[in-house]
This record gives sequence, structure tokens and C-alpha cells, in this order.
Amino acid sequence: MLELLSLCGYELKEIELELPRVKKAFTRLGITDQDISLAKQRLKTYYEIELRGIQKLFGLFVKELVNILLAKEEGKQKIIYGCMAPNFEVIGSALRSKSKDVFALVPNPAFMVVLGCIFDKFVPILEAAEQRWVKSGLVSHCAMVKTRVGLFDLNLVPRPDLLITSGSLCETSPKTNDLIGVLYNIPTCYYDTVQDRELWEYPDSSRAIQLSVKGMRRMVQRIQEEVGFEITDEMLREVIHVKNQFATAVGKVHQLIRTSDPVPICAKHENLITWLNPMSLDIDHLQKATHAVNTLYQELKERVDRGIGVVEKGSPRIFVILPHHHTDPRLEHLVKEVGLAPVATDMEFSATSGLSASDAEPPNDPYEVMSQYLQSCLLLPLGGRISVILEACKRLRVNGVLNHYHVGCRSVAGDAFIIERVIIKELKIPVLSFEWENFDPRVYQYEDFKIKLESFKSMIKPK
Amino acid sequence: MKGEELIRYLNQRPVNLKEAKEKGLKIIGYFPGNYVPEEMILASGAIPICLIEGGNSHPANRALSLVPHIICPFARAQLGERLLKTNPYYSLLDLVITPITCQHLKKVAEVWEYQEEIKLFKLGIPHQYDGDFELEYYIEQLKVLKDRLETFTGNKITDNKLREAIEIYNRMRMLFRKISLTRQAQSPPIRFSDFVKWNHISFYADPTFMVETLESILKEIEKSQTPDQFNQPRLLLTGPNLAQGDHRILELIEAAGGKVVIEEFCEGLRDYWNSIDHHGDPLHSLARGYLRDKIPCAFMRSSTRRRTEFILKLISDFNVSGVIWYELLCCETYDQESYFLNKKLSEQNIPMLILESNYDVSEAGPLKNRIDAFIELIQGGSDHA
Repeated sequence: MLELLSLCGYELKEIELELPRVKKAFTRLGITDQDISLAKQRLKTYYEIELRGIQKLFGLFVKELVNILLAKEEGKQKIIYGCMAPNFEVIGSALRSKSKDVFALVPNPAFMVVLGCIFDKFVPILEAAEQRWVKSGLVSHCAMVKTRVGLFDLNLVPRPDLLITSGSLCETSPKTNDLIGVLYNIPTCYYDTVQDRELWEYPDSSRAIQLSVKGMRRMVQRIQEEVGFEITDEMLREVIHVKNQFATAVGKVHQLIRTSDPVPICAKHENLITWLNPMSLDIDHLQKATHAVNTLYQELKERVDRGIGVVEKGSPRIFVILPHHHTDPRLEHLVKEVGLAPVATDMEFSATSGLSASDAEPPNDPYEVMSQYLQSCLLLPLGGRISVILEACKRLRVNGVLNHYHVGCRSVAGDAFIIERVIIKELKIPVLSFEWENFDPRVYQYEDFKIKLESFKSMIKPK
Repeated sequence: MKGEELIRYLNQRPVNLKEAKEKGLKIIGYFPGNYVPEEMILASGAIPICLIEGGNSHPANRALSLVPHIICPFARAQLGERLLKTNPYYSLLDLVITPITCQHLKKVAEVWEYQEEIKLFKLGIPHQYDGDFELEYYIEQLKVLKDRLETFTGNKITDNKLREAIEIYNRMRMLFRKISLTRQAQSPPIRFSDFVKWNHISFYADPTFMVETLESILKEIEKSQTPDQFNQPRLLLTGPNLAQGDHRILELIEAAGGKVVIEEFCEGLRDYWNSIDHHGDPLHSLARGYLRDKIPCAFMRSSTRRRTEFILKLISDFNVSGVIWYELLCCETYDQESYFLNKKLSEQNIPMLILESNYDVSEAGPLKNRIDAFIELIQGGSDHA
């Protein structure tokens, strides 16, 4: 256990202080000594765990998981639960920073990284959900919502006083909360927009953003009723300011990877950075997250300066559509083994990220700032997504595109074939498209993926 | 029988539409789901056609070149019909109004939009149907649609024209309701497969003609005498979609000796069960009527309880002894909801059968076996009661 915590960036003093809590939490998860041995082995096999920045990132997930598991018994009075709720984490961070009695949580990232990536014990959560109303099979329910149902069913999350989600991308997340609401008798709250942006409007999303602003304000009003205090614009601005520092640090790491040859780190680590963003950490821990990413940047910069990389120099540069796997590092590990160098994912780009013209001043209203997520690549209508992806591929001068579409998400998977066609036609580079599940480790098939990746690599023309 | 006339009318309808188009009339399609007020299309002088074709694997599979299999077969069928260019209802369209309802139909709209396949108008549907600013948004979008229709057809949509259209459609809805309610009788005077087909035809037909025909049908029904049918289990058929052409399920139920006394689908009851208030501002009436008053679809927020209560009331009003839930593969919100309804029905000892379809021919055997067994189970249950 001590070595594991040390690998996860815990300082000695921290271990002394936190060990009883960690033990209690791990016992609730059914973590055995054998699991801990396996976890250490996985960390050493799949992650560059010698990097201090990576250790610290893992540590943030472990700490958050412990906080979630012990929230009730440690006296949290009000539990506000958000999931698939973009920018709820900003409100959640403000709540946690303001009151010790209120615990706002977005549990999926912590469970996915710790139980999935570290311990390889994620499947039972999905199986529990499949025994309830998000069954397995061709219907292909998203494993993100399965995780939510599984965590409830296994009693791994504290019973919330309010359950929040958004339908900005899909209907399945709100529907899941609707069912949790009626089955467990838990109040639910939704904030939405309308996905009716027409292609001629691109990149303008003001209609969608204005509706989102109204929805968020109503959601915050509902939370205020629950927690009994006001969430001021100033509180939100403070969190946004700290999160911007985090985003700047992440941006530096991304830029370093995009401009390096060989790339200094394997893509599976990206999951640790991107999954921090939706967690509603308090301001202190948000700053620690920024520090962890900055530490990682320094370590990677050193590698780049010394010409050290995880693949050979000149390896094919690939652009990845959709994020890397959230519960299982094996596919990205295989990508590296095959000798491909992912340099970016479409998740890093938006209609306003400098790839498309936008002269607009940044908004002042914190709700409008939060609603800018609607401009991110994933949330744009098909035509907008294609514009962003094409521009990113051109700018990054990639040699191929890995288009692994998340089968559980109708919205993004529905675009996959058209995107493939357009890239091949416009950019004349190969695209490897295949179906997978971004949150379900059972999707991994070594032989299948290896053959696909090797064939893909052989199609990429040397430049 | 007037019903047979309707079938003949349907066969002739594409020819009528072609002639109308040649005379300069616009043909405007829209997706089902009960969020596009067809009254507005009619008031613009155009011909509304609801795109409800489905049930055939060929168009659905043809669309797999554009979208993956996780887009539901009904949505894929819409893409496939345009690709195949063999269905006149899809080939004759001048404009399509695509309500942004579920991800499946949204994707069809986006693919058509990106490929510039056809002129289309995306109609934003707020999913929090009971919210105030959501209703305002929907009203605003209806105003934009009104402008678009006026420009497209060259005709002004006056309040009077809208009221007239509301009146015609209200009359049609009322007639469908009345005909449907005759099935509350112990021995329903109509076959449910006929009723579903009339209902489907109404989405293609001229509404005035349809109203006249339904009036005649209702008169025929009122005069008719029906032999007693005591031994057939009374069933409720529900789920997301029951498309025009997706009639295999009806045939299988009838062949197994089941009797559907009420169906709850987008292309049916959800459309005709409520009328639109024709007082006051007609655009506001349409917005309230379509967004708030109709039974919400499963993808709407907080719809599970309201929908379940509504179905339970139908079960009671129509003296239903079993429920068949017929959903399309990959329809994730309805699939989730089926769990809750099943649970509620179990508490009341009402059996429920959940069936899924991908419009595949190979499904017929397993579907038949399951329906046969379900109906036997209900009949056995009645005998022992």
C-alpha cells in the first residue's frame, strides 16, 4: 500500500496522515493485497510512473476517490452530484471551496482512473448497471451512464440530495437521471441547450449559448435552494480564474507534444490530464492539479531538449478523434508499441480555439464563459466538427487519423463515417476507423487492434 | 368500406402529389415525433408529408454507408429512402423540417445538411418541455419557421389561415380519438391493424379528404355489429415508433390471436390524443399544444413518470390484460424507460413483453415465437383466474 501511494505521488507525511482514510476507502471498494500488487505492476508497465508529474496526477484521482467514498461518514451534509454536466464542476468547486458541509462531486473520472486504469477492477461496476436498466448488447448503452447506474447500485457513491446532468450532447444522460430519480426517489435537475445550430451559422453559437446560460442560472438557483447559501458570480469567477491557469498549463503540454519529434510521452497519459477537468475539486486542489501539470511539462520539456521520446524520431504523426480510453491504457500502449505518434485529439480544439476566426471579446458573465463549452469540437454539429478537425489536421501536418468512435454515443459516433470520407477526400491521408467504447475496458482485443494498427501504419506514406 | 378506399387513395397519392408539384405547389416533409406543427405547412399553402416510412431493412441497411449501426433503423431508413430514390414521398420533397428531437433523427438532419442533400430547416425542440424560457424559445423558432415557409412558398401565413388549419387537424384528431375509443368495447368494431394503417395514411393524405373519410368510417363503425370476442387477450402496444410499412408486428400479433385495443406511438396516439387550443394567438396555441400538452416522448426530461402514468391510465380505460413494448434497436431512451414501465406493471401483475427490431427479415421467427408464447401466457392466466 505504501509503495502504491508513493507511486501515486503521496508525500511521506501525507501517507502518515491519509493512510487510515485510504485503507477505509479501499476496503469499501474490496481492494485486496493482490489488487495492490497488480496495480503497482500496471502502473509500472503502462505508465511513465517515474515522472513526478504523472505521480501527482494519479494522486489527485486517488484522493478524490477517497473523499467521495467517505463523504457521508465524514459529515458532509449536502451532496450535489453532477455527471455528464459540462461546467457543473465550476459550480461544484465553488461550493466545495465555500462550505465544508457541502460536497459536490463528479465521481466518474475518479472511479475510472483508479478502479479502471490503476486496478483493472472496473468491469463489475458496468456489470452491475447491466443487471439493472442499462443492459448490455446491441442497444449499446454508453458505459459512462452505466458507470453512474453501477455506482448507485453498488452503493459506492453517497446518496445525493440533488442529481444534476445536462442534455447538451445526448438524451441518454438525462434519461438515466430521470430513472435514478424515480427509482431511488432523488430530486433531479437538468440544464440544456437545443442542438439546432445550422451549418450556415457556424462558428456562431450565440443562440445555443444564450439558452445554456438561462439553463445554468436556473440550475444554480436550484442548488442554492438545496445548500442554503448564494453562489455568487464572484465565487464562480474565482474558480474560472484558477481553472484557466490549469487550462494554460495543459495547453503548454499539448503544444509541446504537438511540436516534438519524437513525442515525449505516450497518449494514454492524456487521460489523466483531461479527466481532471470535469472533477469538482476545491480551489486548493485545482491549484495542485495545475502544479502537477506544470511539473509534467518541465519533465517532458527536459526529455524533448535531450531528444528523448517514446517512439522513434520520424514516427507517423497521427490525429485522434475522440479522447483516449478512460478506463484502460492498453490501446494507447499498443499504439505506441506499433510506432505511431498521436499528437492531438479533437477534444483539444473548438470553434474558437484559434483554428477558426473569432474576433469576439471573451465574455464577462461567468455563465456565458461556462457556456462556451458548446463551441468545443465534440459538441458542434457535424459540419462544424468537420471544419475543426480538418483545420487541426492541416495545421498539425499529421500523416493519418485514428477515428475510433465511441459506440455508446449516437451523437459523436453518428459522424464517424462522414468524417472519414471527408478527411480522405480533402487531406488524402489514411484514416483508421473502428468502433469501440471509450469507457468500457471489455472492448480491448489485442490481436484485432494490433492488426488494424499495423495495417494503418503501413498505409501511411513516409514524409 | 371506406377503409379500403383509403388504401386505394394511398396508392394514388404519389401521382396526385406529382401533379400538384407540377402546378407549383411545394411539398414539405417533416419527421414524426409530434413537434412539427403541420398546421403551419398547410397554412402556407404547401402540402405536408410526414416522413414515416420504415419497417424495410433495405433502406435502413443502405444508410450504413453514411452512419453506423447504432443509429436506429427508423432514422437510417430516412437516409436510405433518399439514397435509393425509389420512394416518391421522399423524392418529391422540396423542403424538410427536421425537429431536433433524439440524436438519431438529429444525425439524419446533420448528414443531409452537410451533404446539401435537400433544403432543410432544423426546428429546435427544447427538451425541458415544461420550462418557461423553453416555451419562449420554441415560440421564437416557430416564428422563424413561419418566415421561412412564407419565403419558400411565397404565401403569407395569416392568423386566420393558421386557425383554419388548426381546425382541420383538430377535427382529424377528434375523429381518430372517437374511432380509437370504440375499441374500449368488449368486442372492438375495428381491426387494430386497419386503425394503424388509417392513422399512417393520414400522415400522407390531404387533411380535408382525410377528415371526410374518417367521418364516413366513424358512421360505418357506429352502424356495424361486431361478434363477441371474449377469448382474445386485450393488449396495449407501445414503444418509440411504429412506421408506415412496419406492419409485421401487427400481423404477428393478430396471427397469434392477440387483440391490440390501443397503441401508444409517435405516429399515432401521441399525435391525435390532444387537440390544439384554437383560441388566442394561434402560434402560441400551437407551441403550447405541441410542446407541453402532448404526451412527451421518452427523450424529454422528466418524462418517465408522466408517460408511465399515462400508459397505466390507458391500460385501465381500455381494460388491457398485457403490454407489448416494441422498440427499435439502439433507441437508448426508450430502452431505459421500458425497465421502469415493466417494473410498474409487475407490481400490478400485468405482463409485459419487450421486443426489439432492426427491421431485419431474420427477426420474424424469433418475434413470432415470443409473441405466441406471450399471448399463450396471458390466455393461460385468464383461464386460471
